[in-house]
Amino acid sequence: MSDILFSLHSWPQAILHIDGDAFFTSCEEAIHPELRGKPIIAGGERGIVACASYAAKAMGVKRGVPLHEARKKCPDLIILPSDYETYSLFSRRMFNVMRRFTPQVEEYSIDEAFADITGMRRALRASYETIALNMKAEIVKELGITVSVGLSLTKVLAKVASKHQKPDGFTPIPGRMIAKYLEHLPVEKIWGIGHATTNYLNKMGVRTALEFARLPEDTIKKRFTKPGMEIWRELRGEAVYPVNQEEKSTYASISKTKTFSPPSNDADYLFAHLMRNLESACLKARGYHLAAKRIVAFLKRSDFSYIGREIKLNRPSVYPMELSPELRHIFVDIYRSQDLYRATGIVLMELTKDANIQYTLFEDALKAERVHDIYRVMDEVSEKYGKHSLHLGASHLIEVFGRGKRGEPTAREKTRFPGETKRRHLSIPILHVKV
Amino acid sequence: MKQKRSIQTVQKSVASFFSDHRRMPSYAEMINLFGVKSKSVVHFWINKLIQKGIIEKDQKGHLAFTKNAFGIPMVGSIQAGFPSPEEEALRDVISMDEYLVTKPDSSFLLKVTGDSMIGEGIREGDLVIVEKGREPKNGDIVIAEVDGEWTMKYFIRKGKTIVLEAANPKYLPIKPRSELRLGGVVTAVIRKYHQ
Repeated sequence: MSDILFSLHSWPQAILHIDGDAFFTSCEEAIHPELRGKPIIAGGERGIVACASYAAKAMGVKRGVPLHEARKKCPDLIILPSDYETYSLFSRRMFNVMRRFTPQVEEYSIDEAFADITGMRRALRASYETIALNMKAEIVKELGITVSVGLSLTKVLAKVASKHQKPDGFTPIPGRMIAKYLEHLPVEKIWGIGHATTNYLNKMGVRTALEFARLPEDTIKKRFTKPGMEIWRELRGEAVYPVNQEEKSTYASISKTKTFSPPSNDADYLFAHLMRNLESACLKARGYHLAAKRIVAFLKRSDFSYIGREIKLNRPSVYPMELSPELRHIFVDIYRSQDLYRATGIVLMELTKDANIQYTLFEDALKAERVHDIYRVMDEVSEKYGKHSLHLGASHLIEVFGRGKRGEPTAREKTRFPGETKRRHLSIPILHVKV
Repeated sequence: MKQKRSIQTVQKSVASFFSDHRRMPSYAEMINLFGVKSKSVVHFWINKLIQKGIIEKDQKGHLAFTKNAFGIPMVGSIQAGFPSPEEEALRDVISMDEYLVTKPDSSFLLKVTGDSMIGEGIREGDLVIVEKGREPKNGDIVIAEVDGEWTMKYFIRKGKTIVLEAANPKYLPIKPRSELRLGGVVTAVIRKYHQ
């Protein structure tokens, strides 16, 4: 079955996907060489495993489990607080190395990127495989972290390829080989295929990516929506998704959550966190000139179950001051004093441009304008003195208790060079070696 | 005495204010700084500096030096005899950042904790810039892991063997027994005497 041909050409296009291997912990190993090869995890400040090194994974430590469970699996586990400052410096460097080979690089997330190297063979005097390997070698050499590289015809296939061999892998999937790699791949492993689609496909008797890719076009058209159709075409080697080099300038939704340990059932404290989530989400939304029409607020219980409610606003808003009464209603509705909660969260949805928002008929427009002005000033203040320098009374409790128990400060936070302040650091990662 | 103001003297006075106070002066402060009588004259000079690309206004109208302004101008060798026009002697500028960190994507900072390179003038507490992935040349200072210990030493190649030598008679040269792992090559040393 694997000799089915989706593409007669090996490389009608060449798309690369680079994925950092256990990125957070790899960065930690690069700046703390003494930790190399040891079982370490990042995420100590959240009380869960945000990223486990390969040594920790070998001991059975998985991403997302609580720390006490991880410690049970591996008593020697080294737990580090996440140092996002350093990780984003490494991330930026990884993207910069990729841009030496092609300007068309899409920063997909902190540890993943796509690059379109179609047509670069002549300019770089190398085959697509060699270009990919050179890119990988430079990242390893200059950053001291390993990455897994997938090379194929489309973004979806490149992602299949980079996952195929991990860590430190390189997998090229030329057009003629597509079927071979899809043959044993379960459909749920395909980028963009979620729970619902997987169940639906399984009911149709489709279990592997190859079976999905071989469905006739009529069936796809009849039974699937546009995204399904696009993934189907991508799997067959037809590039639908472009490698987008523009920075993200808009969002479909914005979410902010906060996990704290130990869990709490203190209503004021929980509401303060929820309020701060709302303030953070709104701050980010205002930065992109967006306003939300729908808002979801949720609490996560200590048994990891969720409870939440949604509010639909009668006009878009991004001002916590306007939204706080609604948030209070939701909170009162979902909070139970007998339960312990470990996280709060807010999702802003149906984001629209915040220009020309029409006030509703019975609303005090003057008051709304005043709120708008207040937030313009508040944003200027936070630009100058740090986020949330000015905040609503309801979230002030966080400042009183400290911003949640953050645990140990990171190695970067503990280092301050002459002239650096808490908010301004040199933009070069620090090697923590005693010499 | 009446001074003649030029764009250079104005720039110099703003720059020295900035290095003393770590902020830009206000228009009111610039009246004294430039030795002028009114803010409108200040405004005139600020516009000149903006036109020259020495300072810029951000979105909120705050003044800031442009990136170029911090490059320290390298004036060609000083000649005796006829002074050459300044413009001819000026080269293109690089910032201190670019000067110190030539490979920004593979450089790391390291704070020195020991005294093994004291003879080279590298003291405890100094910052060194370490370039990862650079091939060390004979005599380069390297960061290396030898038999489980990290050190900063001269990289000396004697025929086929590699010896790591300290710039301090207290420490004996090291011949890596099992393996030598290079952390990088030291490309610069920084020491600040004041905040």
